Amino acid sequence: MSDAYLRFWGVRGSYAAPFASHLGVGGNTSCVEIRVNDHILVCDAGTGIISFGNEMMKQDKIRELMIVLTHYHWDHVCGLPFFVPAFMPDWKIRFFGPGQDEDEIRKHVSAQMRAPYFPVGTESWLSDTTYLNPKKDRTLHYGPIEIRYDSVHHPGVTYGYRIKVNGKVVIYISDNECKFIEKSVTKRQGEFNEEETTLYNEMVQEEHQSELDLIKNADILIHDAQYTPEDYEKKRGWGHSCYIDTINMAIDAGVKELYLYHHDPYYNDDAIEVIYTHSNQIISERDTDMICHIAREGMKIDL
Amino acid sequence: MAAKADREFGFFCDDDRRGVMAKQLPVVVLIDNSPTIKKLFERSTEKLGVELLVFDSAESSWDYLGDSKPDLLILSIILPDQDGLTHLKELRKQPLHEDTSVIMVSSKDYMQDRLVAEELGALEFIPKPMPIQTITDVIVKYTKAEPRAQ
Repeated sequence: MSDAYLRFWGVRGSYAAPFASHLGVGGNTSCVEIRVNDHILVCDAGTGIISFGNEMMKQDKIRELMIVLTHYHWDHVCGLPFFVPAFMPDWKIRFFGPGQDEDEIRKHVSAQMRAPYFPVGTESWLSDTTYLNPKKDRTLHYGPIEIRYDSVHHPGVTYGYRIKVNGKVVIYISDNECKFIEKSVTKRQGEFNEEETTLYNEMVQEEHQSELDLIKNADILIHDAQYTPEDYEKKRGWGHSCYIDTINMAIDAGVKELYLYHHDPYYNDDAIEVIYTHSNQIISERDTDMICHIAREGMKIDL
Repeated sequence: MAAKADREFGFFCDDDRRGVMAKQLPVVVLIDNSPTIKKLFERSTEKLGVELLVFDSAESSWDYLGDSKPDLLILSIILPDQDGLTHLKELRKQPLHEDTSVIMVSSKDYMQDRLVAEELGALEFIPKPMPIQTITDVIVKYTKAEPRAQ
């Protein structure tokens, strides 16, 4: 039996929120560790990766890991300058993220670590660091972990990852604005004639099916749920989902367990508790078995 | 596999009887895997003298773009294999396509995507959904296409 689990090291979106009122949920930005025995896959490198790296330095068994990045916005890479294993000569680190080849991925990972923004560059990393070329079939393998990546709806090229580990399917989509085309069509309905309206209704169905295909049959879905409906109205087009849309989409796709993730840093523990209560109300009203959780920093889930 | 357009690729004659030289139709390549978008473009171009070729992935579009330059390339961003902006970056590295006319059509109407498209020399960025006439207008604007001969 494999020792397999995932652990949340950072659950916030946008910026770190190390405020006393937020620490029940956690203040660090996106970072999830998925481990099978001695193989460690890290999804995103927000500030959460700093404490993960410090934890790694306390053990001497593992000296290798893979980091997959959904994209290069600050909240997903800003922990890397302080990720201690990268500075250690006995560590081996593989990186993957959006980019046409390994050079572009290296360029994006390195971009934040240069003067005048940071005193040392990635050339100061002593670890054996490699950047993986994308493959035509959009898959990666790391030991017993199988990974597939697909583009999602967020500014710039952004990936969602489907990860097969220990017989389970974990899907990690940190940033994604779901039902975007449906909302666009609804908003602009008055501009279209009957024929166009029919065609765009077909397109809404197409896009909805694509969204479902991306997450279908997930044992665990970790998905962007950044906004309340009120905030989503103000921030439509920012590339994030309203938690209600995330829940409904997950139910439609037959997801078993949903972890609401990438919480808005403005929301304190009380605000997120309100979201959690309402989430369970939606699930109850839809009469589904799906289990919904709030992703919290430090939370560990056996796989 | 390339999803070929329904129309024949080739020529039309303005008036063969008067010996007017055959005129080659402007070629418009669309890369988008949405059947609805394909329908929209077919509808938008049905009265235009253009040859519409549709490919449903970045990879399959190389069948044509590998050695041919369309008069207008219309590119979506979210594709089943490679994203459209990365595909455009690769195309621009080919001498044949360094100045190919490109229009982005996407539901990803974000400033960051618009800026990258502009940096890669895209002429316009049309957010989905768009009226049929918008597609017709943009094709006429960049290909100088004329109404299809009856």
